[in-house]
Amino acid sequence: MAEQQIGNVIYRVLRAHLVSILILLSGIPLYLRAGELFAAGAVLLAVVSFFMTRGLTRELRKSRRQRRLLEDQLARTHKLASIDELSSGIAHEINNPLGIIAQEVQWIEHILKNSSGDKLKEKEDFGESLKVISLQVDRCKEIVHKILSLAGELKPVIQRIEINDLIDHITDVVKIDAAAKQIQIIREFQPTLPPICSDPPLLRQVVLNLLVNATQAIERDGEITVSTRCMDDTSIEITIEDTGCGIPEENLDKIFTPFFSTKPTGKGTGLGLALCRGIIEKLGGSIAVTSDVGKCTAFTINLPVERPQEGEVE
Amino acid sequence: MEKFAVLIVDDEVDFVETMVKRLKDKGLDVEGVHSGKEALKILNARDFDVCVLDVKMPGIDGIEALAEMKKKRPYMEVIMLTGHGSVESGVRGLQLGAYDYIMKPVPFADLLKKIISAYERKVIEEEREREK
Repeated sequence: MAEQQIGNVIYRVLRAHLVSILILLSGIPLYLRAGELFAAGAVLLAVVSFFMTRGLTRELRKSRRQRRLLEDQLARTHKLASIDELSSGIAHEINNPLGIIAQEVQWIEHILKNSSGDKLKEKEDFGESLKVISLQVDRCKEIVHKILSLAGELKPVIQRIEINDLIDHITDVVKIDAAAKQIQIIREFQPTLPPICSDPPLLRQVVLNLLVNATQAIERDGEITVSTRCMDDTSIEITIEDTGCGIPEENLDKIFTPFFSTKPTGKGTGLGLALCRGIIEKLGGSIAVTSDVGKCTAFTINLPVERPQEGEVE
Repeated sequence: MEKFAVLIVDDEVDFVETMVKRLKDKGLDVEGVHSGKEALKILNARDFDVCVLDVKMPGIDGIEALAEMKKKRPYMEVIMLTGHGSVESGVRGLQLGAYDYIMKPVPFADLLKKIISAYERKVIEEEREREK
């Protein structure tokens, strides 16, 4: 609708000027015979065109302002919907560990109330309960940390990075777990990658998260291929592909949504991939996923090569 | 190389001694301790630019120590070292703000490069805070 209005305005402006130009051209022979009259007519037309153009320009500006207001309103509506969704996700995820903590506290109260005199058994029971409580507290802390990161607490510190080195070293971290499941890790790094300007610890978080997911996707006997390549002079591509269970097509567009998870309750927060996307987008890049159920899944990250930022280090 | 301060935290006494000696040789201001508890104690007394922190130590482990260190010295960059490669510790350490998480054994030249890179990051962050 807005585009149509803008189009109408432009058409009217052009038409106004076109009429003036045609009259001027056709008036040349007239001018020779009735110069002054024609000149006055041409000036009048020019003045009329000027005021028409000014009016049309004002209309155009007004349309643009209205469009911006509408876009802002739409963005606010989307944001409220996201907050609503996020709030229910947070409530659900935090309520689970809180529920377990409450149960353990009740159990401790029960033991204290019905103390049998077997102090050793009671001490063991307390110890177990406290361990469970501690684990659930850690789980809550992790959820809160990830939520804060998603909420925009990420403040990248840009440094020049040899991306192959970074990925090579962080891949070593999953080597032992992978070997225990007979998973082979294949590294295919393009040797002549240009250095990129990005945040090393944040990138390590992302790559490690994806490698952990890849390892978990394979039950036994599989491959994880980690590759890098230069797309063009402006960006590089990092791909982490596994030969695991794959992701059903109906889940592919939800996989980066906060609190979406296919893991059993208590295993993971559903925030890992959302955080990965948040980090990569904050670094000026993009992340995408493709998958073939029962065969493979590939996460592909694109990052800009140069990103002039405060604090770039040579 | 610019002089900056490094703290080595590892329960392997030989490793700490070697690292302190080699880093001092490079002109750095270096101290070594052998537990998370000692590290937190020394951080009460003075600041360091970079800390190399072992993950698996008796008493307070590396992850607990990291969480406390970040409260006491938020700008100090921490490089975590692990000999047993716990993925969970790696994920948790990076989430808590570790600069890097490296498998032992690591060649000295590689570790020095990471220490310098971590220091450069600290300088950038401190400059950014000052400009606020």
